[in-house]
Amino acid sequence: MSSLTSALPPAQGTGARIARWGLYLILLLFAAYYLLPLLLMITTSFKSPEEIRTGSLLSLPRDFSLDAWSYAWNRACIGADCRGMAPYFLNSIVIVVPAVVISTIFGALNGYALTKWRFRGANIVFGMILFGSFLPSQVILLPMAQTLGALGLAGSAGGLILVHVVYGLAFTTLFFRNYYVSIPDDLVKAATIDGAGFFQIFTKIMLPLSLPILVVTIIWQFTQIWNDFLYGASFAAGGAQPVTVALNNLVNTTTGVKQYNVDMAAAMIAGLPTLVVYVLAGKYFIRGLTAGSVKG
Amino acid sequence: MTMQTPSLRPAAGEDAGAVPGSATPQKAGGLRAVAQRHLSKLVVAPSFAAILLFVYGFIAWTVYISFTNSKMLPSYDLVGAEAFSKLWRIERWYVAIENLLIFGGLFIGISLVIGILLAVLLDQRIRGEGALRTIYLYPMALSFIVTGTAWKWILNPGIGIQQFVRDLGFPAFTFDWIVQQDTAVYTLVIAAVWQSSGFVMALFLAALRGVDQEIIKAAYLDGASLPRIYWGIVLPSIRPVFMSAFVILAHLAVKSYDLVVALTGGGPGYASDLPATFMYEMTFRRNQIAIGSASALMMLATVVAIIVPYLYSELKGGKRV
Amino acid sequence: MATLSINNVRKQYGSVEVLKGIDLDLTDGEFLVLLGPSGCGKSTLLNMIAGLETISAGEIRIDQRVVNEVHPKDRDIAMVFQSYALYPNMTVARNIGFSLEMRGQSKTERDGAIRRVARLLQIEHLLDRKPAQLSGGQRQRVAMGRALVRDPKVFLFDEPLSNLDAKLRVDMRTEIKKLHQRLGTTVVYVTHDQIEAMTLASRIAIMKEGVVQQFAPPQEVYERPANMYVASFIGSPTMNFVRGTLSAEGDRLGVSVGRERSGFLPLFQAPEQAGHWLGQEVILGIRPEAITCYDPAIAAGNPALVKVACGVNVLEPTGADTITYVELNGHEVVARIKPSDRVAEGETADFMIDMARANLFDPKTEQRI
Repeated sequence: MSSLTSALPPAQGTGARIARWGLYLILLLFAAYYLLPLLLMITTSFKSPEEIRTGSLLSLPRDFSLDAWSYAWNRACIGADCRGMAPYFLNSIVIVVPAVVISTIFGALNGYALTKWRFRGANIVFGMILFGSFLPSQVILLPMAQTLGALGLAGSAGGLILVHVVYGLAFTTLFFRNYYVSIPDDLVKAATIDGAGFFQIFTKIMLPLSLPILVVTIIWQFTQIWNDFLYGASFAAGGAQPVTVALNNLVNTTTGVKQYNVDMAAAMIAGLPTLVVYVLAGKYFIRGLTAGSVKG
Repeated sequence: MTMQTPSLRPAAGEDAGAVPGSATPQKAGGLRAVAQRHLSKLVVAPSFAAILLFVYGFIAWTVYISFTNSKMLPSYDLVGAEAFSKLWRIERWYVAIENLLIFGGLFIGISLVIGILLAVLLDQRIRGEGALRTIYLYPMALSFIVTGTAWKWILNPGIGIQQFVRDLGFPAFTFDWIVQQDTAVYTLVIAAVWQSSGFVMALFLAALRGVDQEIIKAAYLDGASLPRIYWGIVLPSIRPVFMSAFVILAHLAVKSYDLVVALTGGGPGYASDLPATFMYEMTFRRNQIAIGSASALMMLATVVAIIVPYLYSELKGGKRV
Repeated sequence: MATLSINNVRKQYGSVEVLKGIDLDLTDGEFLVLLGPSGCGKSTLLNMIAGLETISAGEIRIDQRVVNEVHPKDRDIAMVFQSYALYPNMTVARNIGFSLEMRGQSKTERDGAIRRVARLLQIEHLLDRKPAQLSGGQRQRVAMGRALVRDPKVFLFDEPLSNLDAKLRVDMRTEIKKLHQRLGTTVVYVTHDQIEAMTLASRIAIMKEGVVQQFAPPQEVYERPANMYVASFIGSPTMNFVRGTLSAEGDRLGVSVGRERSGFLPLFQAPEQAGHWLGQEVILGIRPEAITCYDPAIAAGNPALVKVACGVNVLEPTGADTITYVELNGHEVVARIKPSDRVAEGETADFMIDMARANLFDPKTEQRI
């Protein structure tokens, strides 16, 4: 990708230089706007309650302290349970890993079947699956709660895994379908003549070519499921709650003195996994974001 | 998404690739062969069945419940459209709807303006473009339950910006929108724009990079200024992206839930309720399942009205989605 | 090596009939070229032979065995694709050996076969590379290697040269021809390039809108085209079509072109049914090379040559010969003359037409008379 204006010669002269400075200034101001909440969280989480009360909102911590982090991690009270964020963090991992793996596998298979072995009505099937990605969750909250109850999965990690797999299928199928459309059908024909079957072509030819979209899908699903709050709040009970629900409970606890540094540390703990993934593989995250919305 | 390998060019022109079912192998006798022939359908079947049940079945279920008088537990006695008429008599619902209109309008409008502005500015051969892009877009990677913790603090008059500015020597400075009935909804706009405008930027930047550079060169040689090139040629040529961005932002607005919970909790009172929080409140806290379902269906209808024409034109227009 | 017979094969997509009853019979070792424009159904037919498309009606036999219901891998065929369809994730060696791998052959067996084919195609030094690291011509060779390695009964080629640049295309064409001479395998080759068809084929099947227009050896297709479509599809510049009336002068049948008496062109060997056409309109088809500058020495020895005076409109020298647009009794026709012939644009010169190579077509059905 190259800049649109790279086709043109750069502007010359003093006016152009001033405009250039203005441009950078605006961009940096916006950067500050976007960074502010995150910086606030980070600095505050390293401050002592004393310093928060007396110091300025934007100042850097004077005495760098990890107390709030360790307190948030294993001592903070979430409801009546004072084991900190750690068990909930673990809950999220237990939910996210299988949900991501299962929904990605199904998405890859669906995308492969819907593009390379098209059957009558394949487009309608795809359209109906795709609609799921826009579904307002509120419509399915109640029936899902009832169904999970009937299946004996109410309040459990298993229930949440099921929910995330089902409602993630729309996205994973979309990603793989759009990717596989760009792989020529001739490869499948050649492999068929060479004697490979449906699954052999998938594992030996398609999957080895799928690394980029695999990364996009896994990152997307990981971020979505880790960040989920609504399903977690609706379907998980007590000790099985994911980290976002625990964070919300912690922050909104009204009993006792408000420990802002602990709140911020807890928020950072809950946000760190997706933030790290984003910083390391932002390119793939952006691709996921734009994959469903921009043609081609 | 493009493949790196040049040998992966799709076969051009000839009738082979364009035909559906072109890679269908021959049938042979036996059960195994029958399974082979239908493998493709068999593979998609579990997902499709799950979607049929968990999406379309559940929509039907919710529709059914909304025509009953269910309170705390679902009851299955149909009572007609009672829940809907009740819903439209609840003042809180009107607050939620009005909030959605204010919030949605401002959120979509401001996000588009900021997103497009940033995309165009970033497109000027900016040093450190990658880093800036990363900064603009990171809020999308974080749950608002997480970042809302900071926003709540920033907007809190006692300890946030208001206090900060007063400490700087402006004791009369007031910024207490979050605790005022009639302004709380605007704090939702501030936070939502912060979260999503980077995404709009990414959408438009990708589109800008896809515009044919020859057109730009031609316009430049014709003597058009840079702002004129963008306004008159580049932006009109990426019109479809406006549509995509609008549809995505609109449906995000309708579904907004985390934001409200983390920032205002719908308060003060229910002054900053949105339909999503209203529905949750009715269904899970006030034991008005039928009314909750009715409100959920209103949300669905809104999303469908936005999405279906869009999806239809996308699926029909290009074969790609 | 095998025979291939295609009997009344049809293909329908819904109500659209793409192939309308194809009949072709190939003897062992033949090189069949399916020639036609895009959308004529030639690739569909090839895919049906390969087993990649179902057959709506009719049957295809390879070595007398009906293969309609046989899976592609069991038909003993191999195919070279226009896009080459090399597996991008595999090395050249694994690409070539993939079909053997799928058939459960051991690594040692496979390696032997891969070496043999690589030597044949002179790509031994490329075996460890990935397709992305190859040039267009090298990819083409690998694609051929993948087809050759199984020693199939029938080779199928789907426009294999159309992604190559002009020079490489000519080289590979010659190479395919040599390969066929050496291996003698039955080949079905799809192309829209008439030169490829003429140079490679033992027989050409020219297709249009799902129907075979003519199925004959290249020279026959060129000299005795079954209809005006075939006549105009093959040959460059294309055959001249001149409207005229079949008439008699003395005991000789000929075609009167235009009003003047000089427009009578006597036929050298009138077709048998020509008598029925007396006095009716016909279309005379003459290849450009059958119209040359008049040379009394040559004309004297060949009674088929008819002398005509034509106005010269445009000369287009191509080096080897000069394409000349001349006026033949009010019709512009193309002649192919020698660069040494001294004619100039705007003047009138004597030409001679070799009427032994003339074709007559029915103006209504466009079929050969």
